[in-house]
Amino acid sequence: MNTAPDEASAALAQIRDHQERVIRAALIPNWYWWAIGVGMVAIGAAADTRRPVVLGVVIPIVALGMVGLTIAMILGVGRGARIKSSELLGGRGALLIVASDWLIVGLTIGTAFALRALRVPEPATIATAAGALVLVILGPALSRKLNKIMMDNRAGLPK
Amino acid sequence: MSTAKFDELIHPPTRLAIISLLAASEWADFKFIRDEVKLSDSALSKQLTTLETAGYVEIRKGFVGKRPRTSAKLTALGRTAFVAHVAALQEIVERSGASVIPQ
Repeated sequence: MNTAPDEASAALAQIRDHQERVIRAALIPNWYWWAIGVGMVAIGAAADTRRPVVLGVVIPIVALGMVGLTIAMILGVGRGARIKSSELLGGRGALLIVASDWLIVGLTIGTAFALRALRVPEPATIATAAGALVLVILGPALSRKLNKIMMDNRAGLPK
Repeated sequence: MSTAKFDELIHPPTRLAIISLLAASEWADFKFIRDEVKLSDSALSKQLTTLETAGYVEIRKGFVGKRPRTSAKLTALGRTAFVAHVAALQEIVERSGASVIPQ
């Protein structure tokens, strides 16, 4: 073996580039956050009608829609290559995902109860709209952060 | 800390590209690798067979519906060899006084 430093450096750059492509391909698309946000607001608006028929129709449709979109997003993101998510995300990535979920759920439910206590009209619609707004802002930021964590955890490369 | 070991089998650019993709993946679809590495089907098959023979890659053939689907994953041996090869490349670069961290 007689490899020149330039060749070794180029090989390392090639490795970095290919791994980044796999990780970038796993980024959650922005449309997903918007779609889930719209679904949240639809549920909130249905809840504010206080009509069981509306709730009975809207909630199952939106829930099914969200599940369908999530499956479509996962299949789309996972098409071609499934990243080593557990290894690349690590505990920090998993914690970040759980914390973000709880933040949005907590914010939405907390806002809804607070608005209801204050007798503000349409509390669920306003609260889910606030939650959805946070989701569409936080979601892409979360994706970028997870992307960075995965880049940092790539096998064998300098951090 | 891994032991640095230059691997002649991994080092050629095409195989290095394939192994790099697989090192970040649980598995990767044949078409995905082919498109990313920009190889023909036959050239990729040949490279994957070489890596499989060395025990670095596991090839899975299955069906999605009625369509055949081939995917590949890095074995534990392949991962160890890849990490050792990357360490060897880093050593070469470091010995020259250059930084291994991209600017």
